[in-house]
Amino acid sequence: MTATQPTVMLSGRYQRAFTIAVIFLVAGWHLAGAGGQLLHDRAAYSSFAFQGAMWLVMALAITAGSVMVLRGEPGWRPAWAVAVIALAASTAAAVASPAGQMLAVNWAWGSAGWTAVLVLLRRRFSELAWFLAAEGLAILAVQMRDGLNRTDLAGFLAVLAWSTGAQVAVAAGVRALDIAAGQAAAAARSEHAVRERAATAEIIRAARHARWLALQESAVPLVAELAAGTADPGDGQVRLRCAVQAARLRRLLAEGDDVTGSLVHELHASADVAERRGVAVVIETAGPLPEVPGSARRVITDVAIAVLTAARSRARITLAAVAAGIAVSFVADTGGFVGLPAADEGVAIEQQQDDGMLWAEARWHSL
Amino acid sequence: MAQPVTVAIIEDHPVVTEGVASWIRSDPGERVRLVQTARDLSGLGVGPQPPADVVILDLELSGELITTHIPALVAAGFRVVAFSGHSDPAIVMETLDNGAHAYVSKDEGSEHLVEAVLAAAADRPYVTRSQARAMLADQRPARPTLSEQERQALLLWFQGMSKASVGRRMSISENTVRQYISRARAKYAATGRTAPSKDALLARAIEDGVIKPGEIAPYQSFARAEAQRPSLGAPGQ
Repeated sequence: MTATQPTVMLSGRYQRAFTIAVIFLVAGWHLAGAGGQLLHDRAAYSSFAFQGAMWLVMALAITAGSVMVLRGEPGWRPAWAVAVIALAASTAAAVASPAGQMLAVNWAWGSAGWTAVLVLLRRRFSELAWFLAAEGLAILAVQMRDGLNRTDLAGFLAVLAWSTGAQVAVAAGVRALDIAAGQAAAAARSEHAVRERAATAEIIRAARHARWLALQESAVPLVAELAAGTADPGDGQVRLRCAVQAARLRRLLAEGDDVTGSLVHELHASADVAERRGVAVVIETAGPLPEVPGSARRVITDVAIAVLTAARSRARITLAAVAAGIAVSFVADTGGFVGLPAADEGVAIEQQQDDGMLWAEARWHSL
Repeated sequence: MAQPVTVAIIEDHPVVTEGVASWIRSDPGERVRLVQTARDLSGLGVGPQPPADVVILDLELSGELITTHIPALVAAGFRVVAFSGHSDPAIVMETLDNGAHAYVSKDEGSEHLVEAVLAAAADRPYVTRSQARAMLADQRPARPTLSEQERQALLLWFQGMSKASVGRRMSISENTVRQYISRARAKYAATGRTAPSKDALLARAIEDGVIKPGEIAPYQSFARAEAQRPSLGAPGQ
């Protein structure tokens, strides 16, 4: 997940830049191109007010389409709603043009096509093709209603080739750039992954060294005492020390920074020792859990070891996601309070005792 | 309680049926009476005895999960308490959404099954720890909104504290703890697919003052979409 995020972001940033470029192109065309022609030919229309209203409808469709594509890829319903409104406005403007002059004074054909390019940009290419074909047919139908001579047909084909060609070219260009951006991002990702692997290897090496140092301080002296005979295995206190060190060894062996759910893994290792003593341990998780850094995990597993060592016959360990963190709780029949490690590394520790049942909770917050 | 609650067990392992029967027998108040046992759904309601108030249903019969059969049982007027070896939150949620009154995992049976049956017979909410876990783990967009207090009570209950301890921890009475947990359950009964058992549970919760009608979100029926979704497979699939 973390490794793919920069890629997605990088590729997403390029795509957004292309989207904004297309918005400028479409809005610029509608304002300067279509708007200019509308004003230039204002005397030729039978109703300039109606043409102006259609121009405004188209402008609104372009605005709505721009908002939609900036918010993410629109679904087919909203995308086609905008496209159909643009098509309707374009056809209405053509129908209301004076007979015989429709192609000469048509400002709307290009704008409708560009609006469709905008909203259908990242949908299937065939959708844009269908739209442009429908638009061409609608204009042709209006022209045929007005009477179609050879000059008109030539004019129609010229406008069709020019406007549709440009629109298809821009849509294809953006598609090619999207693919290029994806490739660039993938290259960046593999480089990022190589760096990350090297960093992880260094972390694992350092963690192994820290584990070895921890063993030097705790387990090695105990083993030495047992070997020398100064520690008596018959002594309850020594057996308790052994149980704790065994739990710690297991936990250290289970530790690994690249294991997902490693906290659960480490708690299982701690529980194992208690289970050998005949304590029934249940571990349950609720919901997706956040990653807990190694130093905080160690505080939490120290709480686990303290509670499990004191448990007489049963213990329940639960892990639940809480706001911006995790609550790890322990309920066990310890018979009383237990000496727990001090709060550290962002882990808050609490305990409560009722009738010999201990409840302890280690809560870690990422903030 | 003058009349004992009648119960039927649908369970394909005789040893489990026998265990459940022994829990029912050992209830000091003899509040529950076992009237029928069956090894599959076809055996239910067949025979001379009147239908049971509550059905204890093993969710896995002959190796198959049968959560999708719950709506039919509920529609036939049975109150269903699911009793299952599974404790996967997704299965618990699907079972409750299909109209089961309560979900008791097999680990929780000795402590909770008889109480869950009694609660179901009275249309009262009953929340086991596995149910609390499923509610806490619920990430579905259509999940109900729980208050901070309801969530905290559910969390502490899931963690394994007794309700009295939860009350001490939250500085509220044990009764208020029950109230919070029941309210969370009632909110769940008001979402998802509609079922007569959920309506009965909600009506009773309102009558008992557990929840006010205004606190319940309007019904969002996903019944159609749910019906088309394949049911959950066996664990590990």
